[in-house]
Formats: sequence, C-alpha cells, structure tokens
Amino acid sequence: MEILYILPVIILGIGGISLMILSGIKNIKIKTYAYFTMGFLALSASASLLNLGKLYSYKLYPSIFHNMFIADSLSSYLVLLLISGGIFTMLVGKHYFERRDYFRGEFFALLLFAIFGMSMLVHSNELITAFISLEVASLSLYVMTGFNRANNRRIEAAFKYMVLGAFAGSFFLLGALLIYAQSGTTILGNIGIYLSSHQTGNLSLAELGGMAVVMLVFFKVSAFPFQSWTLDVYEGAPLPVAGFMAATFKIAIFGFLLRVIVVDFDTIFYNWHKLFYWVTILTIIYGSFLATIQKSIKRMLAASSIVHTGYMLIAISSIQQVGVKATTSVIFYLVAYFLSAIGSFGLLSYITSDERLRITYDDFKGFAKSHPYMAAVMSVFMFSLAGIPGTMGFIGKFYIFSSAIEAHNYILALIGILATFISIYYYFKLIAVMYFYDEPTMAQSAKLQGLSPKVIAFVALLLLWGGLGSNILFIPGVDFLINLAQTSYDSLLLPFR
Amino acid sequence: MDSGILTYIIFTPMVMAFVLMISKADAKMTRNIAFLTGIVIFALSMKVFLDFQPVSYMQFIEYHPWIESYGISYYVGIDGFSLVILVLIAVLVPSGYLLLWEGRTKGYWISMLLIESGMLGALLSLDLMLFYFFWETMVLPVFLIIGMFGHAEKVFSTLKFTIYTISGSLFMFLAILYLGIAFHNEFDAWSFQLIDLAKITILSPTEKFWLFWAFMIAFMVKIPLFPLHGWLLETYKNAPTGGVFLLSSFMAKLGIYGVIRFVMPLFPSLYKEYSHIFVWLGLFGLIYFGIAALMQDNIKKMFAYSSASHLGFITVGIFMLNEYAFLGALFLIIAHAMATGGLFLLVGKIYYNLRTFSISRLGGLAKRAPLLALFFAVFLFSIVGLPGTNGFVAEFMIILGSFKRSIGIGIVSATTVLVAASFMLWMFQRALLQDTKNDVSKMVDLDAKEVLGLLPIAAIIIIMGVYPDLFTTKIEPTIYYYLHDILKVGM
Repeated sequence: MEILYILPVIILGIGGISLMILSGIKNIKIKTYAYFTMGFLALSASASLLNLGKLYSYKLYPSIFHNMFIADSLSSYLVLLLISGGIFTMLVGKHYFERRDYFRGEFFALLLFAIFGMSMLVHSNELITAFISLEVASLSLYVMTGFNRANNRRIEAAFKYMVLGAFAGSFFLLGALLIYAQSGTTILGNIGIYLSSHQTGNLSLAELGGMAVVMLVFFKVSAFPFQSWTLDVYEGAPLPVAGFMAATFKIAIFGFLLRVIVVDFDTIFYNWHKLFYWVTILTIIYGSFLATIQKSIKRMLAASSIVHTGYMLIAISSIQQVGVKATTSVIFYLVAYFLSAIGSFGLLSYITSDERLRITYDDFKGFAKSHPYMAAVMSVFMFSLAGIPGTMGFIGKFYIFSSAIEAHNYILALIGILATFISIYYYFKLIAVMYFYDEPTMAQSAKLQGLSPKVIAFVALLLLWGGLGSNILFIPGVDFLINLAQTSYDSLLLPFR
Repeated sequence: MDSGILTYIIFTPMVMAFVLMISKADAKMTRNIAFLTGIVIFALSMKVFLDFQPVSYMQFIEYHPWIESYGISYYVGIDGFSLVILVLIAVLVPSGYLLLWEGRTKGYWISMLLIESGMLGALLSLDLMLFYFFWETMVLPVFLIIGMFGHAEKVFSTLKFTIYTISGSLFMFLAILYLGIAFHNEFDAWSFQLIDLAKITILSPTEKFWLFWAFMIAFMVKIPLFPLHGWLLETYKNAPTGGVFLLSSFMAKLGIYGVIRFVMPLFPSLYKEYSHIFVWLGLFGLIYFGIAALMQDNIKKMFAYSSASHLGFITVGIFMLNEYAFLGALFLIIAHAMATGGLFLLVGKIYYNLRTFSISRLGGLAKRAPLLALFFAVFLFSIVGLPGTNGFVAEFMIILGSFKRSIGIGIVSATTVLVAASFMLWMFQRALLQDTKNDVSKMVDLDAKEVLGLLPIAAIIIIMGVYPDLFTTKIEPTIYYYLHDILKVGM
C-alpha cells in the first residue's frame, strides 16, 4: 500500500485545487472556506498519523517517478508537523481572518498549496524535484505575504521576498547543474555513492555545486549573509502568515538540508565545515544584535528567528562527528521552535486582531493587569524561546549544545550560550514590560471568546509538557519525541544498510 | 526507603501555587493558604529531621527516570548538610510569612510559594540536570517579585539580577553537559547523577580547570563573592521585603551549598588546590563589604553589604579544609540566615510604618517600639557574634579553624571579624538608641502574631548559642565524610 505513505500530501494537493476552483464562485463566506481548509488539513493529518513512529524508507513508485520521491520516517514526521502548522495557523488565526476583510478564498487555497509544496520538499529525493516543490511553497508564500493589496508595505515585502528568493533560487539550479556535470545524476543517494567512491579524484564541481545548493537553503532559513529580507518580510506579512512562515518553512528546509547532508555530502562535509562554522557564528551574532535593537515585538521575533536558525546550524556544523545526535537535535529543536513560534505569533495576532494595534514594547505596558491570562501564556512562549528549564526550548538547547560539545565544537557551544544569555534580555524585556508597569494604556476587558485562545493555551501546555513530560506518567513525553527524531534519522540511512 | 516524603516537601508549595493561580481566591485567602503550606512543609521537615539517622550517606532517596534517553532522572535525597538547610527553610519561611502578613497581593504569595519549591528542589536534587532545572526556575519568581512589588528602579534591578544570575548559571549548564558527555565517553551510558559524574577519570587537568571555574562562577554570583557582586546592591535596595528575606536567608546559602554539594565531590583536588584563593577572596570580601556597609545611610543597603560580608566569612570557613572551620561555616549559615532574615523582616516592618530606610531618621525607635528593638538587638548580636548567640559559636569555630591552618590567616580573620562586628553595634546605637527629635510616632510595635513569628528564630539563636551540641550530632558524620573521604584531608 504505497499510497498510504504519500496520502497526506495527495489530500493536500486535492484540497488546494478544489479550494482554488471554489474560490471562483461568489457568495461563499470566509467561514465556509475555513471549514473546508480545516477539513482537508484534518484528513491529511490523520492520514499522516498512520505512519508515525514506524521505521521505514520506500522509494515511491520507482517505475513512474524514477526514485525522485521517497517516503520515510523523517518525511512522515515532518509532514505531520507541517500539517499541524497549518491547523494551528487556521485555529489561531480564525479570529484574525474574520476581522480582516481582505482575506478571501484564494488565501486558503494558497495555504494548502504552501503546505503541499513543503511536504513535497521533505519527500523529494532529487534536486530538481526539490526545487520545484520549494518554488511551489515559496510562490504561495510570496502571495500570502502581500495579500493585503491595500497596504503598500505588504506589497513591498512580498516583492522584496520574491525577487531575492528567485535570485537565490537560480543559484540552486546552477548548483544542481554542476553536481550533474560531475556525477551524472541529480538523485540524492546516487550523488552520495558517487562522491564516496571517487574520494581520491577531483570533486571540485560537486563541491561548488553543493555550496550553491546550500546557498538557497541559507537564504530560506535566513542565515547570515542572506538574512536581510527577514525583518521586512515578517513585518510586512499579516501576522498569522508570519507565524506560519516562521514555524513551518524552517521545518521543510532543514528537513531537506538534513537529507542532503546526511545522505550525500557527508563524505565531503569537512570541506564545508569552515563555511558552516562561520555562517553559524555570524548568523548568531548578527541575529542577536538585530533582535536586541528592535522596538517592535514582531520585528524582534523575526530577528530572533535568525538566532534560532543559528542554533540549529550549530548542530549541523557538528553533523560529521556526531551524526545521530546532531540530526536528532535539529529535528527536536525544529519541533520546539515550531511550537514557540506558532504560539507567540499566534498570540500576537490574536491580540492585535480586535484591539488597537499593539506593536512596540511600550504598547505592552500594563498588559498583565488588563489581560492576565494572555500575559501568562505569552510568558511561557518567551521562556521557551529563551530556553528556560521546564520548557521544550530548554531541552532543545540541551541537545544542540551537547551535540556541539560532543563534536568538540566548544567555540560554537560557547557562542550559543552567549546568544542565549543575550536572548534573555530581549525576551524578558517583554515580560518585564507586561508585568512591571502600571499603565493600562489600552485598558479593555479581556475578550477570551472563541477557539483561538484555547488553542494558544494548548500550544503553551504542549511546550511545557515537551520540557517536563516523562513516560512514567503514561503519556508520551520527552522521550517519545526523542525517539521520533531518532527513528527519523535511522530511516535516512536505511536504504544504505 | 522510598517514602516519597521529599517529593511532598518539594512539590506541595508548587502545586498549591498552581491551584491558587487558577482559583478565584483573593489575596487574604491566598496568604492564609500559603502560610498553611509553610506549616505543612515545616511539619514534614520535622518528621524528616527526627527520622534522620546520624550517618554520612544519603537518606530518604527517591529515584525515578525522567528523560531516559539521556539518563536524566528525578533523583532526590538528603544528608546531614542538606538537612540543616531544609530545617532552616522550614522554620524560617512560615515565620517570615507572619511578618509579611499585611498589604500584599495574590501574585506576591504565589511567587513566594514558587520560590520555596524551587529552593527546596535545588536543595534536595542529586541529579545535576534536575538541580539545574530547579536552580533556574527559582530565579523566575524572584524576577517577578522584584519587578512587580519592588521599589524605585525595580525594572532595571530585576533585569540586572536576572541577567547576572542566569549568565552565571549558563556556564554551569555547559559544564554539566560537558561532564555528562565525558561520562558517556568513558562508561558508554548516559547519566547526570552526581555520584556517577564524580567517577569520571578521563578529564585532563585543563578540562577540569575550566569546568571547576564554570561551576564556581555560577555559585559565586549567587553567594555573591567578590568580584561578582554587581547585582547585589540594587537588588537588595529595590526588592520588596519578602524578596530580600528569601535572597539573603536562603538563596545566598544555596550558593554555598552548591559549592559543597557539587564542586567538592566533582573536583576534590582542585577544591584543595584553589582553596587559598577563596580563603583570601572571602577575607577580602569580609573587609570590603564591611567597610562598604559602614558608609551606608540606607539601612537595607547596609544589611545587604553586611550580609555579603558574612557570606565571605562562610566561604572562608568552607575552604579552610578542617573540621572546626567547616562546622563553623555550617553553623554560620544557620546563624546568619536566621539573624539576617529576621533583620530584613524587621526593616520591612519599619518601612511599612515609617516609609523610610534612612538610618538617621530612625533614632529613638526603641522607646516607641520596645519589642521590635528587643528582637532587633537579639538578631544583631547574633550577627555581631556576641557570646550567648549562635553567631558567636560559629565565628569562634571558624577562627579556631583558621588558626589551625596557619597563624597568619587566623590573625587576619580574627581581626577582620572584630572590625566587621564593630560597625553593626554602631549602627544599632545610631538607629535605635539615640534620642533624637525624629518623628517616629507612626511606628507601631510588633503585634502578637509577629512576635509569634520571631520568637522561634530568636529562641533558636540563643539555644544554639548556649547548647550547640544539640545540632552538631546530626551533621558531624556528614562533615567527617566530606573532609575525610571526599577531600582526603587529615582530620
């Protein structure tokens, strides 16, 4: 039953197309579209739950696709995360969508297409396929970013994102070409076999090509020096979209990067080590600097997402020495960051959806007095992002740093710790502003109706559970998540055993 | 011996805090429940104290795997040393609550409960990751309590405090990870338990050097030991009474506790090698903070410095490497926590009535509030180390230990203690006994409830001063074990 492995993605594709068709019909309310989208996402999620935790790796329909698609534990786990990203975005953003008149049916179709593209990316086993999937996802996100046509800033953000993205994308194609010129294949795995069997020969074309491919990855995860778009795009995008982007796109890209490195470029990774090393350091330093100087919460979260990319790059820099640990720590951290980002952006969007806009730190003065519940939940997200023990963000950092130490990358671990320390400043500043000032400038009684606040609170509970949970209490806890990450790693190497 | 009593002790305040958080109880109700929780913890701790066998090994051990993939476990236990601090917390916390009775909000009491849980957890953990977890979570409610209920530049001081302490402990976090990985490399299994990590043999001297200092920095910030005391002044000055009470009486002591519990068994040779550095740092701190305290007019600042000065002396005691000094340091931990805690509570009471911290405006207080002055005097005498109080026994033993190590150090510590003692008496005379024209008519003397809270503290100060053996029997085996079996110094 091979179809079971790809079923979630198929459902997403069908959902996207049918919503696209529906959006041509007038007189359908936003709510209806939202229910349709939720239906498809829920179906897709339950389909992907079927394979969760199993260890497997199959090439999908090799006779038709010629090994271009793969389905393994890694892809199924990440697809589940991507779909839940979509579900959370829908649930959390419900409030926001209902109060903005510019959201229309196409938006939801695009959301499904974006998830579809990202899921294809984690399933793809070939460079050109990966590029196409990536572009499907990116194009949807470009449009979603600029969805409010009335707002010039949105248009600017979308345009900036698209032009730079397309430019970085061309490097990917060049890289794929160079790799093909050297090894005669663009199928992942085969490249790796070629590289490891020609280690003594001249591999400069493949190395250069690999670097060009990695460049697009760096661009998409906003690593230094390709981070310049991040702040403007995040600021320009509608809040639920920004949250969706921050939470899910990293998962897909890092999933692809892990597959590329672990399966193919592991043998020549020592050549890249220096590159990754410096990119990591600069990403963290520059990201921390950016986050520290921001006045707007949204921009601070965007800048701090650069730092979180940096944390994950720490583990990837250690991937050759401690493959299992580095890979699992990246996967674990992706989940932790996913939840924190979805939660914090979601809560921001909820807050801004029916009040006057709260944008800067100062706007949050006295927030805890008027909205104690939301302030507490926001604090949980900040704790997790800052990596305070008791939250999932802490366990994530625990893995990242211990894998760096195990690989003897002490400098990276130290820089990571310093960045954590700086991050305390900009995350705790928000908590301090919320709790320690008495200026309820926008005093308005808390409106906690509807589904959104409950979902946000649920995300916060998940984060706490991911930091404290233990299997002794009969609910899958931290160990369960670690095992999932471990299985995902094992499945990457399964075809080569 | 899996009775689970330590788990109850650690988590009762936390669970109560969460229950109160979601319940609709008002501030008064919250306070009453917080006080009752304190009493329950006191009762449970007394049971532990009575059942505790005077032997050197860990008792009341509880072990549950937590994150099995990396050998992180919920592993708690108690020995003579942690017993001392447990009893200290159990006695002082409810007493403190009685003095903090008035005019507080719900968030204040919930934070106090959370801090209590954090402290007890850090005190009883035997797994380093578990310890780190409590150690960090303990800071968060302190952050809230200073920021929400503090005075003056409270936001600045709370951020400074948090950044100082968390940055210190982040280095410790790296060191813990490093030790865990070293254990994994040597034994091919994951564990973060103290007894396991102490078995590691593959570390090179350079590695040990860095790890040792990473741990020490975290604890030195908390104590605070010169030169890492940057957060001290503003935090103490701007924190609310309850926050200062907890910081000075317990958290600083937990810094000392961390040194003995973790640094000593993990790096015994370095502990001995660098002991002279810490002895001198401690003595220097004793004088430096003593002089700084002399110059203050703000009574809270003055006690902040005098407290740091005494913690310097405790550090001297634990690094002196002999039984007298060590026992003296433990005694001083109790003596100082009781006395300084009591003093800060009284200062809070004075501020509540008179709205001032200035010493020069307090003259003649003794006439107006004789009971308050009496307790003030008892606590102060204990800090100064007057015979008949436990402060005397403690300081005497440390000085005795210093002489045992070398005559020079002995003379230096004896004189510095005397100098440091003098300023306290001077302050007492200025603040309470002077007959000035200050308007202290708003001062209300202690009521029955407050006397009830302070009486046990004062009683213990005097009983310990007159009959110290009552307390030493339970802890002596532990001290012997630490010095003889872990540090391997001759007794």
